[in-house]
Amino acid sequence: MYSKDMVDLLKEIMAVDFVVYELALFLDTHPNDRRALEDHNNFAMKSRQLREMFERKYGPLILDSVSEFPYQYINNPWPWEIRY
Amino acid sequence: MSNSENEVKMQNLSVEYRLGEAYIPFQSYGKIFDPRTALMNGTLFPELYRPYRVRAEL
Repeated sequence: MYSKDMVDLLKEIMAVDFVVYELALFLDTHPNDRRALEDHNNFAMKSRQLREMFERKYGPLILDSVSEFPYQYINNPWPWEIRY
Repeated sequence: MSNSENEVKMQNLSVEYRLGEAYIPFQSYGKIFDPRTALMNGTLFPELYRPYRVRAEL
């Protein structure tokens, strides 16, 4: 149904995305913090890379993902079907 | 509770409550958790990670 590698990659994406959100919220009140902004940009790029890697291997991850024909998004295991 | 009930409760407690003032120190950017730890701890910042500890019965 789905591989352990896929779940590991999903967990990595979730963790990196969480860091991006945390840093974005921090920057709301600390826009001049250079190191925080550098970390935010690095993690944002990392998040995009991870997502592209995921989608190359396993197909569309989120609604905004581009899909091959026929529509692939509905084939992925749904989040609640996955044992994390 | 209506106001009068409030006052009655206050008198019974015989404690003089004064209004409090909250002060939140401005956070500065220090160390951060690695992504997996941050996600599991629910925060990126070690200084904000303060889970409730299980204490012995009082």
